Amino acid sequence: MATVPKVEVGTDYKEKYGFFVPEEYVFKAKRGLNPEIVKEISWMKQEPEWMTNMRLRSLEIFRKKPMPKWGADLSVIDFENIFYYLKASDKQSKTWEDLPPDIKATYDRLGVPEAERKFLAGVSAQYESEVVYHSLQKELTAKGVIFTDTDSALRDHPDLFKEYFGTVIPPADNKFSALNTAVWSGGSFIYVPKGVRVDIPLQAYFRINAENMGQFERTLIICDEGSFVHYIEGCTAPIYTTDSLHSAVVEIIVKKNARCRYTTIQNWSTNVFNLVTKRAMAYADATMEWVDGNLGSQITMKYPSVYLMEPGAKGDVLSVAFAGKGQHQDAGGKMIHVAPNTTSTITSKSISKGGGRTSYRGHIKIYPGANNCKSFVKCDALLLDDESRSDTYPYNDVDAENVTLGHEATVSKVSDEQLFYLMSRGIPRAEAETMIVNGFIEPFTKELPLEYAVELNRLIQLEMEGSVG
Amino acid sequence: MGLTSESLEKSLLQGEPGWLRERRQTALAAYERLPLPAKTDEEWRRTDVSRFNPADFSQLEHLDGLKLERPAGLPAGVILQPLRMAAMEHPELIEPRLFTLVHGDRDRFAALHAAFFTGGTFLYVPDGVEIDEPILGQHFSHHDGTSVLPHTLIVAGRGARFNYLDEYIADNESETGHRSGSTEIFLGEGSQVGYVAVQKWGRNVWHFADQRAELQKDSTLRLFNVTLGGKFSKTRVEASLAGEGSNAELKAIYFASADQFFDFHTLQDHRVGNTRSDLLFKGALQDVSRTVYAGLIRIAKHAARSDAYQANRNLVLSDKAKATSIPMLEIDNNDVRCTHGATVGPVDPEHLFYLRSRGIPESTAKRMLIQGFFGDVLDRIPFEHARKLVEAELESRIG
Repeated sequence: MATVPKVEVGTDYKEKYGFFVPEEYVFKAKRGLNPEIVKEISWMKQEPEWMTNMRLRSLEIFRKKPMPKWGADLSVIDFENIFYYLKASDKQSKTWEDLPPDIKATYDRLGVPEAERKFLAGVSAQYESEVVYHSLQKELTAKGVIFTDTDSALRDHPDLFKEYFGTVIPPADNKFSALNTAVWSGGSFIYVPKGVRVDIPLQAYFRINAENMGQFERTLIICDEGSFVHYIEGCTAPIYTTDSLHSAVVEIIVKKNARCRYTTIQNWSTNVFNLVTKRAMAYADATMEWVDGNLGSQITMKYPSVYLMEPGAKGDVLSVAFAGKGQHQDAGGKMIHVAPNTTSTITSKSISKGGGRTSYRGHIKIYPGANNCKSFVKCDALLLDDESRSDTYPYNDVDAENVTLGHEATVSKVSDEQLFYLMSRGIPRAEAETMIVNGFIEPFTKELPLEYAVELNRLIQLEMEGSVG
Repeated sequence: MGLTSESLEKSLLQGEPGWLRERRQTALAAYERLPLPAKTDEEWRRTDVSRFNPADFSQLEHLDGLKLERPAGLPAGVILQPLRMAAMEHPELIEPRLFTLVHGDRDRFAALHAAFFTGGTFLYVPDGVEIDEPILGQHFSHHDGTSVLPHTLIVAGRGARFNYLDEYIADNESETGHRSGSTEIFLGEGSQVGYVAVQKWGRNVWHFADQRAELQKDSTLRLFNVTLGGKFSKTRVEASLAGEGSNAELKAIYFASADQFFDFHTLQDHRVGNTRSDLLFKGALQDVSRTVYAGLIRIAKHAARSDAYQANRNLVLSDKAKATSIPMLEIDNNDVRCTHGATVGPVDPEHLFYLRSRGIPESTAKRMLIQGFFGDVLDRIPFEHARKLVEAELESRIG
């Protein structure tokens, strides 16, 4: 059997792959953060005045807000030593062939589609799927769906943009939403008109026209009444980046009878602090589903939330976290029941190995008057060795009448009985452990489009190979 | 008279040994130094103490106001005395232990208790001694507007086995005042201790209690709390599993009505491996009462092969009552079994329907369901005397 390169997703890419991207930028803002830099960013993008002002106001808020004292240790972030805006000079110059062989090998083993690989690797050269992309855009446009990057949306759909931008997550929401609002760049903008169902999942890599992934992405999705969309932000393959801080904001509005599903599998390299604010507003009988996977980064703090604004609204968070050596995944979900007769569920599955730490942190808030609500939270954690750590911090505030609230959590190791059973069938230990881990996260994988589910299973396999040799 | 060092000197320090005087003075200094807990402090976010002014209740009641039920024929070597008396007669047993599990500088209220504790019991059961009859300590409050701050210290020698009940009783249901009832339990190797605390102070008092047990190798603690009284009651129940093979069962029932507020903070601290803890707190709420439960299971890095369970169940009987439940886990070892669960909800309408379809009137059916809800945990009360007492108390509450 040919020797396969040992791939360990979740360890330092730079050392493993010696991967780096030569820096060549047309415009590079100075290091650090001040009103001049923010104005410069806004000027570079030729933004309307209201946006420039909003950015400046947000910078003020960011300055005033203290660092969160809970969750992961963020004291090591040096905000003055970060480039807040980079515009690549010539993306076409980077080609698939330039990528380090190991990264390519990882993609191969994962079976990532080629178009997507190129997207992930930051190669935005022409490729075959452009045809697909164009026909998709044509189809979407015919239905009145807008699917573009957020910078273009501000330019091309100013009224729609201004109506919703910053309404779900105002700049003052938290320190990092303020930072994002001050320096945001890139991200997706989706508008689905009344009654329109978008049948195929929309994925960020379909937008080959502009900046795809940024340090301070800003995504805004509006599902008008009775519509449906499934948006896929990330994917299972590792994403290499030199940036140390990623702070995205995702705002979603799901109107009456509409349904939105948002799928992310975050797999940043392990030098990244990933501090993301994701929130949706769900109106009457609307459904919002977050499918959120966290595999990469050094520290992630991310709690997708749903504000259940009108009766009949339903919120759902399905979260998977995998923490390896040196990683801390502080993830979970929030359900804010503002209206009566609303329901929510949070399912969290976390796996820690090699000294990694996973924390489930969740908040169920049921406001006075939001009677007859139901909420259920289930957290399962798997610890693969005795160096790793798992925490559960659920916060529940119920101020309404006739509310049913449940929370359940378990923490365990791979059970000896399950292992014994599989091994007695002749399955080697490592493979058996992998099967058990894959089974553990199955409720998550079965919610993913098939190709992602396959990828995720393979990725877990790679992770497990790393752990048991 | 205020809660000052002068009043401390006059009321309590007279005749106390030097080390105890010093401990009280240190605690008083901590009380004066420590601020009120901030609303931003997670433990106090849902617990409002802004209207509690201890100085309003500066009159200390009965400095030895405790009735000890001395079972006939206590084995030789067993010491059962009011704590202050014991501090003078057996300093070698008390000085190294008193306020080493329950810390006087943990917060303002713990400090106040440590500085001004009055009655309370000291129970010492030597190595190998087993006592069949339960030992009963009753703490009474007789006056309105006073402070009653009893402290219980229990030391179980190697292989000792016994049961103890602390009962906190008000003369007058509508009394106001400041009450506490803190307990420290030291379990020696292989000892088995049943401890029950029944809190039924008057309806208008502020109650603060810190219970903490330390379990050595192969010891078993069965601790049971019953909370019924007070307009405000905050109880911290903590078990530190310090020896392999130790086992802590922490159970509680509470029944909150009118505008009562109950707060429970629990900790299952697995410091070594091969330890087991099982926590079940069950409560019913009616009228406009509120309860908060926050519990943590902590499993230290090398505490392998530990099992820890934690469950909080709340039965909300009125639309206006509110129960908050926050079960937390911090697990640092993989070779463990941990589960926790919390539920908050009304009486299951299907259960009610079932009983009513059998011709049982709604009020009776509801009562049966409440009794059923508490049934499994009542069975876990470690000894019969306490079980009967609690059943009678619950019966009168359910009505």
